[in-house]
Amino acid sequence: MTDQLDPHPAIGLDDVVHQRVRLGILTVAHQARRVEFGFLRTALGLTAGNLSQHLTVLEKAGLVEIEKGYEGKRARTWLSLTPAGRRALQEEVAQLKRLIQQIEQGGPASDV
Amino acid sequence: MTDASVPSFGTPREVLSGLGDLTRKVRAAQRATWFPLLLLGVLTLGGILVGRLTFRIETVPCPAGDAAAGGCTQVAQGSPLYWLIGLALAYAATAYFSIRRSRERGVGSPVRPYVVTGIVLVGVVSATTFWAVRHGMPKPGEPLDFWGLHLDPGSEAVAILQRLIGNAVAVGLPLLVLAWVERSRALLLLAAVYLAIELVPLTTGWSGIPSTSPWSAVPRYGVPGVLLLLGALGFALAELPRRRTAS
Repeated sequence: MTDQLDPHPAIGLDDVVHQRVRLGILTVAHQARRVEFGFLRTALGLTAGNLSQHLTVLEKAGLVEIEKGYEGKRARTWLSLTPAGRRALQEEVAQLKRLIQQIEQGGPASDV
Repeated sequence: MTDASVPSFGTPREVLSGLGDLTRKVRAAQRATWFPLLLLGVLTLGGILVGRLTFRIETVPCPAGDAAAGGCTQVAQGSPLYWLIGLALAYAATAYFSIRRSRERGVGSPVRPYVVTGIVLVGVVSATTFWAVRHGMPKPGEPLDFWGLHLDPGSEAVAILQRLIGNAVAVGLPLLVLAWVERSRALLLLAAVYLAIELVPLTTGWSGIPSTSPWSAVPRYGVPGVLLLLGALGFALAELPRRRTAS
């Protein structure tokens, strides 16, 4: 019989979500329910190209839904979280809280 | 928002704190609390004018053993239709304003639960009021027919019920919902004060206006109306610095 140790919370962090810009995108989209590309770019202080790259990663992972349309003659891009995106964000936050708990209980502190 | 707000990565606590800051910034951009408060304040003050225009005094037979010379008088004022149409329009206008603002700012609005709660409760209050109107005002001494319950009009239970089925429910409860969806402690406080004014049996003698005056609705609607307008002004002023920063 072998003792199975609980995996370290850092193991549970998803590489797609656990990236500061993408985590910021998911957080804004979660609070806003539906957010426009321009608002997101300003809120996160990113260039359009940089934001687009991260959105492509999140869209491919099925975490966000992107909707393109027009308002008058202006092209607008809106994004919202998919149920998987909402779950992924909740899981990320839960893992971070577990990490904090572990650090406070005397485990090795680490940057994430 | 012009500052870079991507959460900086350090300890997990710093990451969570960065996400919290970002969430607060989005919430601030979503808020437009002044608009519904302004509409509700104007509507409430309008109730004074409606009360004045619909005011009437009727002479009715006195209850047995309480005969007064010349009979007893019964004061009637107010229009349930005014509140039904006014409140429904206020909630519809808030929904329209929020959708427009959401498109302009590029960020979704959280007001749907507020609007839905408001419209449902206006429906409930209106149904109750129209039931009461259809069954007529009870003569002095007669029991009050309320959805089949025969209640004593002079009892404390009826006084509480009357306060409950008015603006406390149709305006106060949706404001609590708005405070919850906007995570606004200031609005929660305002909604609590509003509910206290609507539900606590305050005497209106301090205003110097007798209940038989055509202007007797002034203290009843003036106090909550001014509270809502002051709230609207306060929230609008609080949002100004944020709007300036954003532009």
